[in-house]
Amino acid sequence: MNRFVPILAVALVVACSDARAPLVASDVTINKPMPGMQMAAGYLTLTNNSPEPITITDVTSPQYGAVEMHETMIEDGISRMIELSEVTIEPSSSVAFEPGGKHLMLMRQKGEPDLVTLELHADETVVLTISVAPGD
Amino acid sequence: MNPRKIFIATVAIVAIAVGAWLSYQVASPPRAQSTRAATLLNGANALPEFTLVDHTGAPVGADVFTGQWDLVFFGFTHCPDVCPLTLQVLASARQQLADSGFEPLPRIVLVSVDPERDTPDKLAQYVSHFGEGNLGITGELEELRKLTGALGIFFGKSMREDGSYLVDHSSAVLAFDPNGQFRALFGSPHQAENYVHDIPIIVDQS
Repeated sequence: MNRFVPILAVALVVACSDARAPLVASDVTINKPMPGMQMAAGYLTLTNNSPEPITITDVTSPQYGAVEMHETMIEDGISRMIELSEVTIEPSSSVAFEPGGKHLMLMRQKGEPDLVTLELHADETVVLTISVAPGD
Repeated sequence: MNPRKIFIATVAIVAIAVGAWLSYQVASPPRAQSTRAATLLNGANALPEFTLVDHTGAPVGADVFTGQWDLVFFGFTHCPDVCPLTLQVLASARQQLADSGFEPLPRIVLVSVDPERDTPDKLAQYVSHFGEGNLGITGELEELRKLTGALGIFFGKSMREDGSYLVDHSSAVLAFDPNGQFRALFGSPHQAENYVHDIPIIVDQS
């Protein structure tokens, strides 16, 4: 069964990354939690192909108790994590969640999933679902 | 001026220029290499006495930084982004230095700024994820503040609505020489190539 998980993960990411879709995710990376931890970081780039801004207001995952959008801010040599209540992707633009910047903070992992699904919400609507095998 | 005179004049000018350049090279002492990212420190104050514990639970004081070069980062295990990112950069730089045959290789040290949650066991698991030989330090908050205060390292809790907390903290990495002296500071953003470039210079100039 496990042999098919990476194939399934790739297939799902490809399916969700249809360039014709209004919102496309690329460079999706979800780390496994560090040893002894139940939290992990997630990174991805979101591209808005639609003519209207898309505002992500919430992210959920069946494999985690909570997912938050955070941004690492370094000011005057001090590193702070700021929780983002929403992230807007302007038309024909991309927003990168990348190490040292905006990122997803996945908390309270349930079990040890082979596949992590992220559901990106714009208010009450799920606008994008991504599944990916967590990496080290 | 005929072509012969022009030729002789040209040769003379070139000879003078080459002579001047050679004499400058001979007379000038070799210029010290500059670091890319690190700020070098000339003789820092001795560390105050403190009692913390390492990731095995053994007590450690200021002399924990003696006997080897150390790259010291202040972070915490519930930090999913910048802390593992920084430790990964340090581990990568250390590996690159090892691959190039450089010695002495620095030890990577994580001092937890979240001693409330970071037990020695947790730190042991965490630091070992970034390679062998790394050191984790934790302990009582009051003792930790003795160390961070002396080094100008800031940290403080940032409470969240649900009662959980994050920890704001200095993002710098400090280099300690084998005498336990604070010799250089790397500010963020941290890049492995800067460490690979700067560490031999820091070691050489200490």
